[in-house]
Amino acid sequence: MKRNDFAARVFIPVVSILISFLIGAVIIAAMGANPLEALQYLWKGAFGNVRNLGTTFARATPLIFTTLCACFAYRCGVFNLGGEGQFIIGAILACFIATKVPLTGVPAILLCAAAGAVGGGLWAMIAGLLKVYRGQNEMIITIMLNYIATLLMGVVYTNWLRDGNIPQTAAVPDEVKLPSFLGMRATIAFPIALIIGLLIFYYLFSTSSGFRLRAVGLNATAAKVNGFNIKHYVLMSFAVSGAIAGLGGALELLGTQFRLINGFAAGYGFDGVAMALIASLHPLTGILVAVFFAALRVGSTMMQTATGVPTSVSDIIQALVIVFTVAGLAMVRLPAFRNLFTRKARKEA
Amino acid sequence: MDIANLILAAIRISSPLIFLSLAELYSQRAGLVNIGIEGIAAIGSLVGFLVSVTTGSPVLGVLAGAAAGILVNMIFAFATVTLCAEQIVYGMAINIFAPALAAFIYRVYFGSGSTLVQGDLMATLESMLGIKSDHFLVNLSLDQTPMVYIAYGLVIITGIYFSRTRSGLNFKAVGEYPKAAATLGINVNKTRYMACVICGALAGIGGAYLTTCYSRTYVDGNVAGRGFIALAAVIFGRWNAWGVLAACLFFGFCDALQIRLQVVSNTIPYQFFQMIPYAATILVLAMVGVKKAGPKACGQPYRKEER
Amino acid sequence: MTDRAEEILRMEHITKQFDSVYANRDVSFNVLSGEIHTLLGENGAGKSTLMNVLFGLYQPTEGEIYIRGQKVKIESPAQAVRLGIGMVHQHFMLVEAMTVFENIILGDTRAKGIFIDRNARKKEILALSEKYGLEADPDQLITELSVGAQQRVEILKALYRGCDLLVLDEPTAALTDLETEGLFEIMKKLTEEGKSVIFISHKMREVLRISDRITILRAGQTVETVNASEVTGETLAAKMIGRELKPPQYPKTEEAGEDVIVLDHVSYHKESKHNGLNDVSLRIRRGEVVGIAGVDGNGQSQLAMLTTGNITPEEGTIELKRSKVVKFDPNGFILENVSHIPEDRNKAGLIGNMSVADNLVLKTTTDSRFSDWNGFHLKKKAIRQYAGEMQGKYDIRCSSVDQEARNLSGGNQQKVILARELEAEPDLLVAVHPTRGLDIGATRFVHDTVIAQREAGCGVLLISADFDEILEISDRILVMFEGKIMGEYPGKNPPVGEISLAMAGK
Repeated sequence: MKRNDFAARVFIPVVSILISFLIGAVIIAAMGANPLEALQYLWKGAFGNVRNLGTTFARATPLIFTTLCACFAYRCGVFNLGGEGQFIIGAILACFIATKVPLTGVPAILLCAAAGAVGGGLWAMIAGLLKVYRGQNEMIITIMLNYIATLLMGVVYTNWLRDGNIPQTAAVPDEVKLPSFLGMRATIAFPIALIIGLLIFYYLFSTSSGFRLRAVGLNATAAKVNGFNIKHYVLMSFAVSGAIAGLGGALELLGTQFRLINGFAAGYGFDGVAMALIASLHPLTGILVAVFFAALRVGSTMMQTATGVPTSVSDIIQALVIVFTVAGLAMVRLPAFRNLFTRKARKEA
Repeated sequence: MDIANLILAAIRISSPLIFLSLAELYSQRAGLVNIGIEGIAAIGSLVGFLVSVTTGSPVLGVLAGAAAGILVNMIFAFATVTLCAEQIVYGMAINIFAPALAAFIYRVYFGSGSTLVQGDLMATLESMLGIKSDHFLVNLSLDQTPMVYIAYGLVIITGIYFSRTRSGLNFKAVGEYPKAAATLGINVNKTRYMACVICGALAGIGGAYLTTCYSRTYVDGNVAGRGFIALAAVIFGRWNAWGVLAACLFFGFCDALQIRLQVVSNTIPYQFFQMIPYAATILVLAMVGVKKAGPKACGQPYRKEER
Repeated sequence: MTDRAEEILRMEHITKQFDSVYANRDVSFNVLSGEIHTLLGENGAGKSTLMNVLFGLYQPTEGEIYIRGQKVKIESPAQAVRLGIGMVHQHFMLVEAMTVFENIILGDTRAKGIFIDRNARKKEILALSEKYGLEADPDQLITELSVGAQQRVEILKALYRGCDLLVLDEPTAALTDLETEGLFEIMKKLTEEGKSVIFISHKMREVLRISDRITILRAGQTVETVNASEVTGETLAAKMIGRELKPPQYPKTEEAGEDVIVLDHVSYHKESKHNGLNDVSLRIRRGEVVGIAGVDGNGQSQLAMLTTGNITPEEGTIELKRSKVVKFDPNGFILENVSHIPEDRNKAGLIGNMSVADNLVLKTTTDSRFSDWNGFHLKKKAIRQYAGEMQGKYDIRCSSVDQEARNLSGGNQQKVILARELEAEPDLLVAVHPTRGLDIGATRFVHDTVIAQREAGCGVLLISADFDEILEISDRILVMFEGKIMGEYPGKNPPVGEISLAMAGK
């Protein structure tokens, strides 16, 4: 049984990706370009040389954070759709510290990172407290908080921290920027993201606390009867997932974007949710999925320059992947589907 | 502050919300939580805009928006009713898929230039009748596009449908206790698919309203969270048509208010006013309290022949 | 019964397969008009499945159905209703948020027009209600009704659709003796009008009282059909179980150790007759089994929740092992060695999506046997090994300990819970309906293990709607009715008659 589930969890996303690419190829052909050529440039643009690889990793880094945020939350049954807002709050706090506080170097970076994590965690806790103490559904609240956070960021770069006449903040000073990772365009934020992913994986599957968190997410009633403190785990899951997203926001500011501007982090939150679902909430698979989709994005700009195929094709492909993956994962869990396999197995037995 | 104009604005602003909230109401009454109506509204607004611009008829645009909404929601229906996928999870998938599709079609059709294409706005009843008036009540009742009247008409029809008709009673049973409904001969899956058709159509119309009656242009993200506010409106309105209407009017009023306040105030950054509708949603939900009053089987998949 | 009674139903050679399991195998029986025909069998004998086939919810793998001599294929409940078959399920098919009236007319296709003609329909319903003595207020919400009243609504529903053959699936499970009498009256009225009733039960006493003929099912097959007047309880029991089985004689103790748990004038939602406790005082001591007899829905669930720390009493005190309980939370009670076999094993007992192994160590992951540094590093191999040992010790049938718990059969799921709760060597075991839905082998296993715990010095609080179970293994019997303790009786030679009366509130 366990092997079958594992096969399904890997098999379905892979098949979905293939089907989506096929459809993408059809669309590309319909636009008058050569699909194979386009895909070639897609690959080159993402992985062709060290520079592109670095760009891909850099692009993947914020996505890894929001994916891990969603994974961690959902494992506890918490529908934290507020990764975007938590990410932005983290970036806002980091921006204040980086541009206003007279610290530089590693201490500054650490402070920004810590502030980002705390800010993101607190922002998520608003929804968490409302869920635990008022029984409110966190989906809508976290999404509303996303919009509020985005607007707040707007105030920051058009008003409070505005740099001159352009609606953007001053750039983060060089001494606070993140050092690069192995000389690539990606910064140390990338390996930090990977490490966080590993830590979450270990926590969920090798510690008693993570075991209980998963139990709460799978069956809160049984968890309660068996003595688990539901409130504790739910709140923790909000706080930690928010902190992860907030940390990601801070690092994105210090490592890649350097300023807050209209469109900062747009869509990262929901993308993270999509990737977490495609990865069946597994942190390590989630990292792979995030890198994959980052590659799609990065590669598609080269594809556009070389063949004229618009980058939005890669957005469609990503959207199709999630549509097919979630449907596919549901399909294999259907009793009718199961019976196909078990009957075969029994006949052979 | 001109109260009369504020009210007129509130009516205009709450109309798309009414369509979206009714869409969700029908879906949830059949037991399907659809958090993807934000995405469906996006594709509805794009298709509505496209058809309106190319045919010159905003009305056709709205119809096309409805059709697009139905098509996309059929994906949701198939996944959740037939494949028994988790509804909330699949709703998220639709929220990612549909806007991406909308953005893609826009790029392909209009290119990626920075100048926004402009369309026509639907004519209001007043202008159709050739009346010009400054009187508040006349404006309130006549200076609206036909869509507004349709929205209110739909509220009335929905209210009557669920409280007085046999079909409406059977419909509600599907959302409350599908197994019992099945033993009484009600076709649960068919009802759920029908609900998805209605939901898709109304959500598509709500989206199309934004680009044919509310604004002349299409921009990515123009739905701006209305799909989620609609979810809150259904909860706030206690899952009945009149309550939902009241909730939508409330949120519409908040939105109209914040636009006025922006103009009025010079010191407070305008973004804080823009936050009002979203913060209002949170406050409303926080006050509404714990007692779950929705259809009992909402959110659960229905499987026949369960052993 | 008249001499020339017409045959209203015949089911011939019905077989129903689920995967490789035969729920029904070559089952044949018939029902005459004006007859009360009982299907008698143990849990899992295939009675409900057979009726679900009749009602169009399942399709038979093989076999034919004849209604009034005509062969039919029943493909949906709607069709069954058109053929005149009505069914009252064990778990009522009533929409709680709707009124009696709405539930009765739900899905009815005979009325014309879009709008509901409330007056006309209500008249029809009240007429039916009077004719058969089924009291019901059309405008009440289902949530406001007692179990007996809800059952009457279900019967009205069937009659409203013109049923001639009414199937009642375990109708007396949740009724008091008084309500059961009421039901029997209704059944007699129905047969006087020429209608037939299929009565499904496993309770011998009632079956002998009310039936005309009895068909016994065992392990999915028909054993035989007999006239009720020609059999006794013992012969029926033998046919049901398949061998001469003497009920197991568990030795009863009269001496017990010190108090494990004491409830002193405890109340919770005391106004509620079906979901509350009203001034309850009782004690459970080491080495004894205290059985709580009573029809389900008289406060037993609340008693179980209180004694495991899941709810907090509103009045009165509880002493656990001689110290007063200040904070009511499940974890506190678990730390005091209280084990709980919950009422609903799937909702509250197991994490269905987790493996059998995970469920076995659910509460003990921080134990040094299963983790290092107090839960910081789980010892997966040790856990699997332990699970393997438990699988053997408790005879848990599963393909591997990694199998998801929800894929096990009910009996095996219960064994997983037993293993987990009993290996903790509890001082107090609260077991709620521990053998519900289990076949006879699994039931015996559960009883053996509970008695073994008692021998080991555990105090056992047994809550069950199965009167026979209570009689078999309790050392002391308490009766609960509408939230109150009606009386205490010895487990050895219990006065069954008195206890039955107490269960009905007298």
